[in-house]
Amino acid sequence: MNRREAVQRVALMMGGVLAAPLMAGVMGQITNTGESLNITAQQEALLAEVADIIIPTTDSPGAKAAGAEKFIVRVMRDCYKKEDQEKFYAGLAKLDTDSQAKFGKGFVDLDVAQKNEMVKLSTVNDKPFFQRMKELTVTGYFTSEIGATKALEYLPIPGKFVGCVPLKPNQKAWAL
Amino acid sequence: MNFNIDAIKAMTYDAIVIGSGISGGFAAKELTEKGLRVLMLEKGKQLEHVTGYENAMKDPWETKYNGRLTIEQKESHSKLSRDYPYNEMTEKYWMNDNDSLYKEEKRFDWYRPNIVGGKSIMWGRQSYRLSDIDFEANAKEGIAVDWPIRYKDVAPWYSYVEKIAGISGEKLGLPQLPDGEFLPAMEMYCVEKEVKQRIEKNFPGRNLTMGRVANLSAAEKAHTNVGRGACQYRNKCSLGCPYGAYFSTQSCTLPYAAKTGRLTLRPDSVVTEIMYDNNKQKATGVRVRDAVTMQDREYFAKIIFVCGSALGSTALMLNSVSTRFPNGLGNDSEQLGHNLMDHHFRTGASGQWEGDLDKYYIGRRANGIYVPRYRNIGNDKRDYLRGFGYQGGASREGWQRNVAELSFGADYKNEVTKPGNWTMGLGGFGETLPYYENKMYLHKTEKDKWGMPIVVFDAELKENEKKMRIDMANDAKEMLEMAGLKNVKTNDRGSFLGMAIHEMGTARMGRDPKTSVVNGNNQVHAVKNVFMTDGACMTSASCVNPSLTYMALTARAADFAVKEAKKLNL
Repeated sequence: MNRREAVQRVALMMGGVLAAPLMAGVMGQITNTGESLNITAQQEALLAEVADIIIPTTDSPGAKAAGAEKFIVRVMRDCYKKEDQEKFYAGLAKLDTDSQAKFGKGFVDLDVAQKNEMVKLSTVNDKPFFQRMKELTVTGYFTSEIGATKALEYLPIPGKFVGCVPLKPNQKAWAL
Repeated sequence: MNFNIDAIKAMTYDAIVIGSGISGGFAAKELTEKGLRVLMLEKGKQLEHVTGYENAMKDPWETKYNGRLTIEQKESHSKLSRDYPYNEMTEKYWMNDNDSLYKEEKRFDWYRPNIVGGKSIMWGRQSYRLSDIDFEANAKEGIAVDWPIRYKDVAPWYSYVEKIAGISGEKLGLPQLPDGEFLPAMEMYCVEKEVKQRIEKNFPGRNLTMGRVANLSAAEKAHTNVGRGACQYRNKCSLGCPYGAYFSTQSCTLPYAAKTGRLTLRPDSVVTEIMYDNNKQKATGVRVRDAVTMQDREYFAKIIFVCGSALGSTALMLNSVSTRFPNGLGNDSEQLGHNLMDHHFRTGASGQWEGDLDKYYIGRRANGIYVPRYRNIGNDKRDYLRGFGYQGGASREGWQRNVAELSFGADYKNEVTKPGNWTMGLGGFGETLPYYENKMYLHKTEKDKWGMPIVVFDAELKENEKKMRIDMANDAKEMLEMAGLKNVKTNDRGSFLGMAIHEMGTARMGRDPKTSVVNGNNQVHAVKNVFMTDGACMTSASCVNPSLTYMALTARAADFAVKEAKKLNL
């Protein structure tokens, strides 16, 4: 039984009473796309670039493709106190000015090796910023549709529980 | 004149059930099925089965914060947000702290739902029977008062409610954890199977079993009759189950009660007082404030079941004063509000398992393993009374691991997208003794927005519990190490009363009206037509999760009440 069938079976079990917006969500469409931002487009773009170094594209798309920066912006704005937000965005700005100082251009314009070098430096120079950035990037990515379904194995309605099965070759970790 | 009589008639039912949670739902089911016209009053808002569970089918990327609370929510729920049950996904199910005002002489975590179904929606679903070791403990040790009932009085009612609710589990034949009517037990992970063998071999008298849980591992007729389906192993139970696969008021007792055509459910109804008639020496009905319109109404009935959760029920009794009962309805014993209990927990141990890297699993088991109590049983004697059980389980690390490390990039990503190591933990759930001085009472002047006096808590863990916690941590470490786990560490994250959301006591059951509030049939000693069947009646706490006992006691009390009513004794 594939996911669509499983979902449809739930809908049938529920007597077709699923509300339309919920149903749209169940069927895999993204119903929660972005929020109005109170940071600049440049800051958001910078976040996306840093996130994409933390989780780059490999055989699955990376953090930028998954829109992890939108999650970061939203969580920062709504779940952190103003002083924590300021600290976080100051850390982001410093990464950019440090890039200027070292390579003569902003982070966004660096090549991949330089970006990696700058992020590596931030693990030493501004560990609190790096750790928060990493935590938000990783959570945002692996709970995104791309992260959960492409980088990991996503099984929203398992329908059964088997406690002990042989690991398949190249088995990805469960997203949930 | 006629108009008034008609009006009262319209407001009159055979029975009123206050609260719609695990106890209230069962009371409504039993009483309606026995032919009574029942009014069920719920202070919270309506929550429709399936359609009301708006987060239940969401994919992770449809959540805004992946479960985090916003600053605003932390502020509006300053007490609730101290622990995990209140989060982005369950936010609407809990009462706002600004509405749920209460005071803490000592810290108390009061989780109050705000919905039809009460905590039956968010509960942990672990379902165990008390045993005679529990029912006899107070008498044997000279603690508090004796339970007026024994296991044999409740055993048939456990069986009755288990078949309806649907409890999955394994039979063990242990005296301290009686077996029930079980649906097939869920499976263990390979690691758990190995750990089970090693613990049982090295520690005679200790068992590791699958959790007994109110999830349908198989749906039988009693379940499909009301539209319930088998567990889909999504492990999102606390959001509400669209399959009705775990026991809740909405999935089980409410549809059964509704089928009779004799149930009236009224959400948004804050019961502020139970009215008492001194001439009849009975309760006549309840006063209700509409939570939305703030209008007051009165409803009348011959039988009243108080099932508003232990603390809610007792607050209501304390607020129901009359010349006969100046200190609260049925409070001749002055025990109302006292002997407040909860389980203490959040201590145990966990470690890493080397091996089984070629083993994985399918599905998300909405359940863990269970180690039944073994302390102070048989020849085992500790320097504290009673005991504890463990809940826990194995898991295989996923993408969340190494998030605090400084690694990043393609290697890091490739690593964490593969399954990590197996780990396993055990967390104790310990019995708290019934101390008279652990209490709740009503504030003399301050009221909440519905005009109910706010509750003040003055209760804490004492020496017996603190000594037990040392065992809870050390035993867990000892067992896990013996079972072969590495890097085993104990933990104690501190436990405040209320956090386990197993609040019990405050209207204890007993034989003597001078020292207890309700009798062995959950009937208020001095007000025969009022029954308290939720956690308030518990004379001692046992160490097992209590909800199954509320179901059994409620069904038993409903049976008694209807028989008494037929004999014209109520």
